[in-house]
Amino acid sequence: MPQEHMPLQHSSQQSVQQGKAQAAESAEAERSSQYEDAAQGLDSVLDDIESVLENNAEDYVNHFVQKGGE
Amino acid sequence: MDITLRRIFGIETEYGISVTGADRDPDPGTVAMIMFRPVVAASRSTNTYTRNGSRLYLDVGSHPEYATAEARRPIDAVRLDAAGERTMHRLALHAQELLREQYGPRTTVHLYKNNEDSAGHSFGCHENYLVRRDISLQLLGAQLIPFLVTRQLYTGAGTWSADGQFQLSQRADFLDDAISASTTRSRPMINTRDEPHADSDMYRRLHVILGDSNRSQIATWMKLTTTHLVLCMLEYCTHHGLDTGLAGMELADPGKAIKTVSHDMHGTAVLDMADGTRKCALEIQGTYLRLADRFVREHGDEIALNIADAPECLELWGKALDAVHFSDISELATWVDWAAKYRFVQSMRLRHPDLTTARIRQFDLDYHDVANGHIFDSLVAHGQMHTMLTDAEVEAADVTPPADTRAALRGAFVAAAQGAPGCTWSADWTHVSASVPDAKPREAELLDPFDSQPSEDYRKVMELLQGE
Repeated sequence: MPQEHMPLQHSSQQSVQQGKAQAAESAEAERSSQYEDAAQGLDSVLDDIESVLENNAEDYVNHFVQKGGE
Repeated sequence: MDITLRRIFGIETEYGISVTGADRDPDPGTVAMIMFRPVVAASRSTNTYTRNGSRLYLDVGSHPEYATAEARRPIDAVRLDAAGERTMHRLALHAQELLREQYGPRTTVHLYKNNEDSAGHSFGCHENYLVRRDISLQLLGAQLIPFLVTRQLYTGAGTWSADGQFQLSQRADFLDDAISASTTRSRPMINTRDEPHADSDMYRRLHVILGDSNRSQIATWMKLTTTHLVLCMLEYCTHHGLDTGLAGMELADPGKAIKTVSHDMHGTAVLDMADGTRKCALEIQGTYLRLADRFVREHGDEIALNIADAPECLELWGKALDAVHFSDISELATWVDWAAKYRFVQSMRLRHPDLTTARIRQFDLDYHDVANGHIFDSLVAHGQMHTMLTDAEVEAADVTPPADTRAALRGAFVAAAQGAPGCTWSADWTHVSASVPDAKPREAELLDPFDSQPSEDYRKVMELLQGE
């Protein structure tokens, strides 16, 4: 884990209205640092993936077409 | 202790097939048939049951499908679901080997445990819950649907559309009515076909259709356990004539709400409620969590066996809602599929600011590929995605049915039938039959999913297979 977090109060016990503004603010503030930490923690995963995935992404994605089911 | 308040869990997962790197493209139907060659060789059918009591078959449209055997605890269903992934992995790699002879050495089979192909066809991961017959459809629509619509905050598998937009659920855009009697014509969220595969006076089978396929074992476990707790509340209160406290949860338009929730990873988008008020997904989930927590404290002793997992589930549920509330993607990413993928892509974007949508959608698919995928396994290997089961446990689950349901009988039957020379056999959820050369065919019914004790008929079937 790149980041450890203290256990938090259940959001259910807080006012959601208050929470919305708070969440939006903290989201903005945390976002950039969070992604940098995450990138550090994920480095080995990213290295793994860059070396193995097929080159033509479009072709890879478009090959998956399937009908039916359920 | 009320022994009628008990549960059978099951998960049916459809897998999607794709082939890349081939000299010419084989038809997915051909690939599926080649995948199922070992299955046909063993059971003379593309529709069979396995030694752990689960059903393995080819569904309409060449979808390999795995339906887990009857489980009394969510963790047992998770174990069987993981065994299903393992089975599919093995079949796909075997097919790849055969295909390479015909289609070239770079032929690669992809088997996606997801819910959408590149052209926008959707397929399902259905959950089954045996529920008491006395909870009404009206109650399920009003008080279960709002929970199911909003649980995607932590159960969604996440996906990017062709225009690069991210959403929490792979299924949300494809669902229409809240409740309906069929799955293939319109797509309802829950289905109420009356095939309980059990005592139909007491139980009905609730078929939940709106969920995503999860790679995360913890997400699968949480999906089943949280839904189970909500069902326990509804059943208990109905049975004892009590107020559930959930009357205010009914959504004005579940079909619209599920899409709104899916497009909002903060859980704060406004949803119209049936009583004219407005609530957000976090608020609705918070109410269910609070009431589930109270229910377990007040009535836990009466249904103790059924909620043994409750404390861990309630704790993780609370943490998940907090993490959504504070947009803590890193916390969620250790077990929530959408967050794990989202975090991976954001990190990749830091390395490669010009990441294309096609590349992101390739990552999305790769995460779900149980045959040749890299991302999910790498996340697990580097401790970024947590698991509940060891490899050895999953390997054991391949051949080990739950010991406390009729799956134990079916599994033992399949193992014996596969080992009996010249045996012709068939099985379904409630029935097994077998014949061997020069002996009278035998059959047995398995009507009670909670009963793992052999009947006289079942003993005779087994004696036949063991040559006694």
